[in-house]
Parts: sequence; structure tokens; C-alpha cells
Amino acid sequence: MFDPYILQQLAIGLSLGMIYALMAIGFTLIFGVLNVVNFAHGEVYTIGAFAGLMAISAFGPPLLVVLFIALAAGAFAGFSLERLAFSPFRRFSDEASLKSRAMREATLMSSLAMSIIAREAMEMIFGSQFQSVDLAYLINKPINIGPITIVNGDLIIFAVTLIMLGGLQWLLKKSPIGLSIRAVSNNALGAKYCGINTDRTIIITFVIGSGMGALAGILVGLYYGAIFPAMGFAPGIKAFVAMVMGGLSSIPGAVISAIILGLSESLSTSFMSSVWSDMVAYGFLLLTLIFFPQGLFGARRDRV
Amino acid sequence: MSKSRLIKLGLIILVFALVPAILVGFDKGYYYQIATIAAIFMLLAASLHLVTGVAGLLHLGHAALYGVGAYVAAILGAEYGIGFTIGVPLAGLSAAAIAFLVALPTMRLMSIYFAVATLGIGQMLFLIFQNWVGLTKGPNGVMLFSGLNLFGFEIDTDLGIYYVVASIVALSILVLNRLSHSYYGNALRSLREDDQCASAMGINVTVMKIQAFVISSFFAGIAGALWAYTTGYISPNDFQFSQSILILTMVVVGGLGSLPGALIGALLLIILPEMLRSVGDIRNIIVGVMMFGAILFLPKGLFGEVSALNFARRMLGQGWAAKKGEKGIGWK
Repeated sequence: MFDPYILQQLAIGLSLGMIYALMAIGFTLIFGVLNVVNFAHGEVYTIGAFAGLMAISAFGPPLLVVLFIALAAGAFAGFSLERLAFSPFRRFSDEASLKSRAMREATLMSSLAMSIIAREAMEMIFGSQFQSVDLAYLINKPINIGPITIVNGDLIIFAVTLIMLGGLQWLLKKSPIGLSIRAVSNNALGAKYCGINTDRTIIITFVIGSGMGALAGILVGLYYGAIFPAMGFAPGIKAFVAMVMGGLSSIPGAVISAIILGLSESLSTSFMSSVWSDMVAYGFLLLTLIFFPQGLFGARRDRV
Repeated sequence: MSKSRLIKLGLIILVFALVPAILVGFDKGYYYQIATIAAIFMLLAASLHLVTGVAGLLHLGHAALYGVGAYVAAILGAEYGIGFTIGVPLAGLSAAAIAFLVALPTMRLMSIYFAVATLGIGQMLFLIFQNWVGLTKGPNGVMLFSGLNLFGFEIDTDLGIYYVVASIVALSILVLNRLSHSYYGNALRSLREDDQCASAMGINVTVMKIQAFVISSFFAGIAGALWAYTTGYISPNDFQFSQSILILTMVVVGGLGSLPGALIGALLLIILPEMLRSVGDIRNIIVGVMMFGAILFLPKGLFGEVSALNFARRMLGQGWAAKKGEKGIGWK
């Protein structure tokens, strides 16, 4: 009934979607709390990949340790990013200025500037070429399931995304940190009056979101065996698309949209040349913006 | 002679006599190249200024519309033998036409949503440049061998090309100056500040936004055509997302909403990296650091909007000055 080719494409699309999802979660988390777009998220992803790569070439630890090193590097990058590019613009803590357009545009551009600096610095240090990755670490050993072939990386990415998503939901809904994150995202000033340290909460949000982005980076780097300074740009835009499609502040919405994106991208390659598959993502973005401006799964907003 | 006449005359002398004199003095092809590139980017920054600075629409796909102009001019010139005189306006018009089609559905989007939409459209156009090999020759780019032929006169000296580019750019900037320092510009500024309020005051917000977007894209297309003719070779990499960001940086560094600021920003960001060529790869980092520093320490830009408006109205716009025995219009 099902063509094995289509099934294979579905499997590829699912793992692609999971990668986008992993990145979109961090993106959406940061947007949900601060209501600003973090354009440097793609660079955090690259930093994660490079940190993992450096760990591998320095002392060759087991894969799990590499993942944790990438996570730590991403967390640190998120912390510095927040301190450098976001906190200087939170001069006033009242509601209006926190959500004002000036604030949003200033942080948008400062995060863009940070991303330029980070990418160019990495290009200067490592060169713009693909880095060679130790073959033993690549997660692309094939596994046959019936008519289709997947690689062990698919399973790892799937598992990591599920763990991350579950862990995040637990953190947001059950833990005191999650409570303060949700409070700040709902009403920063109110949270402050209730004795929540808003600055610390925002830092924690950045650390969590960026850690997840960096983890996505090293996983994808090992999955495709391609680590290079500009690698964060394309998935960054895809994650952005997923976030907009999902309704900007809804994490489950972003994950579902990311999977839809991945699936449609890989299925589209059976109809057209693969160089055009990015067109599908941008087409989705525009269609969503035009017909469902508040996103497919988002809460209603007054004006978009 | 009044002060405002003096400034205008000074600007004309600077662009059409002083800079060429310096260029002839050094007589290096490299300097001519920098001068023409700086002029083209000044036009790009001035056109983005109209959309992002004056009308307040964060536009992240300007380089793609600039690319449309470049590709139209180059393909017309290389394949169909349509020269500079007709190719340049056609390039501007086709960029404007595409901008109009884009603007129709996206103009009702607000702030960040509009930025994302323009980003998506910019990327789509970039994909077309890169992958529609039949039309755009794909990643190989288009070579444009035909020289710069203006009304039948072949212009092949570096100095002549500089003069042609500088006059077209100066004329375009004059138009943009009149647009942004007039009642029209004021209306655009009002919808930047509060579009609901502007709409209540009787301004047709959507139409005004579309107009600003289309006009700006027209000039971006002209800049693209000039780029195609002066470099003689275009490839998709010239019109990447990073170029949009570079143009945006020029506008931000100069000061959002300030036309002189945008021009200063463009000059700074083209000439400074060239002067820093000896330090090599760091120059891109310096662009990033400058952008960051400008946002952090000069939130109003090098030449902020208020002082730029004052300057423009006092020095450049006679229309704003009070005539004898009459009340001045507008300002104050």
C-alpha cells in the first residue's frame, strides 16, 4: 500500500523535523519570556557543534560526555549573550518599555550584531571550510526496519528531542524555576512585585534555550558530518519559521510545526529538485503569515 | 548667498568636483571602484531609510530587491542587448513591480511579523537567483560584457563611469530627500509612531506603506542595475541575507529616520572596512562591533533623526522656510 520510497522520505522528514524542533524549542522559550527575537540562536547552535568537535579532537570522550560539553558551551553562550546583547537594553523595568517596539528592535539588532561577531570570529579561528569529524563519532550507522533504512542518529535525535521536550514541560509546569519563568513571561512587572528575581529568571531562560540549541548543533553536526561556521543560518531560519507557524509563544505548537516543516521538506524532494526544498519552508512561512497571522496553534492576539 | 545655498553648492562641488579630483589625483582603478560602490550603497541605504527609518517597517529583504534590479539589468544587457539607458529604469520598475506584488498581502502585518515576511521573501528571491539556472545562470552568475552606453555615447573611462553613477545616485537621493522631508514623509512618520492613530487622522495606512515600500524598492532596483553595470559580473552571493543586514546596519548606525545619517552610515561602512583591509579578516568583525556599539552607545545614531530633520528643513528645504509676510508651514 505504501511505497517504500515514500516511507523512507517520511522517516527522513521526521528526523529533520525533530532537529528543527530541538532548535525551535529554545527559540520559542526565549521569545515567550522576553517577547523579543533572538537572532543569535543560529550561532549558539554553531558554537555547540564546535565545542563538541573540540572536545572530540582534544580527548575523545564518549558521546554522552560530548553532548554534555556542547550543552554546557551553549548554556555559557546563552548567558553571555543575554548579558551582552539583551540586558543593557532592559534599562527600565516597567511593562510598557519591556514590551515596547524600541526595546524589541534594539535587541533584535544587537543580537544580530552578536551573531555577526560570533560567526566571523569562528570563521577566523577555524576557517570557513567543513571541519573533519572523527568517523567513530558520526551517528549514521544504518539500521534496517522492514523496507526502510534509518540511521542510529535518527533514533538518538528522536530520543533527545523527546527527553528535552518532556523535561522542559516538567520544568515549566512543575518546578519553581518554571513557575518563575512562566510568571515573568506572563507579566514581568507583576512577577517582580511578587519577589521573583526577573533578571535571574531571564538568564535562566537564555541558558536553557541556548543549551538546547547547542545540543541540536552538535547532534546535527555528527549526524551529517558537516560542521562549519555558517551552519547555523539555515536551521535558524527554519526554527524561526516553525516558531511563527506555531504561534510565537507556544512550545508544543512550534514542535508540531517543525515536524510538519521537516516532513513537507523531505516529501517535496520527490516532486522537485532538492535545491528547491527550502522554498517549501519559506512558502509555508508566507502562507502562515498571510492566512493565519496568529499561528496555527497560537493564542489569539489583538493585532499582528 | 544664504547659508543653505552654500551647503547645497558645497555638496555639489564635493560630489562632482572634489571627489573626482582626488580620484584623478591618485588615479588608481581601486579608488574609483570604492567611490562607485560607496555611491551605490548610499543609494541603497537611502532607499531603505524610507521604509525602515521613515515608515518604520523593519525590512530584512532589501538586498534581494536590489538583486532583482541587478539581474534584470544584467540579463537584459547580456542576452537581449538592451543597454544602460533603458535597462536601468526597467530594472527599477521590475524591482518595484515585485515589491508591489509582495506588499499586497504582507502590508497588513505588524512589526516583527512584517520583518519575518520580508526575510522569507528575500530568501525566496535568493533561492531563485541561485537555483533557476535557466534564467539566472545559477551560482555561476551573469557576466555583463556590454559597456556603459548612455544615449549612444560609450562611456568607458573610470572617471566617466563615476560621473554617471554619481549623477544617477545624486538624483535619486534628491527624490528620496524630497519624499522624506515633506508632508508625505511626515505622514509616513506618523504611521510609524502609531498607525491606528494615523488612520484615525485620515491617512490611508496600507496604501502609504505600500507606496513607501514600492518607491524604496524602485531605487534599490536602480542601485542593483548600477552595480551590475559597474562590476560587470553578478552572482547570487552579492544579494545574500548578510547584505540586507549590512544595509540595515548602515541605516541604524547613521540613525533610524535620518537621511543624512543613512548616507554617512553607508560611507562609513564601505570606506572603513576598505581602509582596514590590511588587518584582513577582522574587518567583518569590526562591522559587527560597530553595529553593536552604535545600538548600545548611540541609540539615536550618528546623525539622529531630530537633528537631521532640523538640518534638512533649515538648510535644504526652502518649502519649510517662512516667506516674507506669511506664516511658515508645518514645522514648529
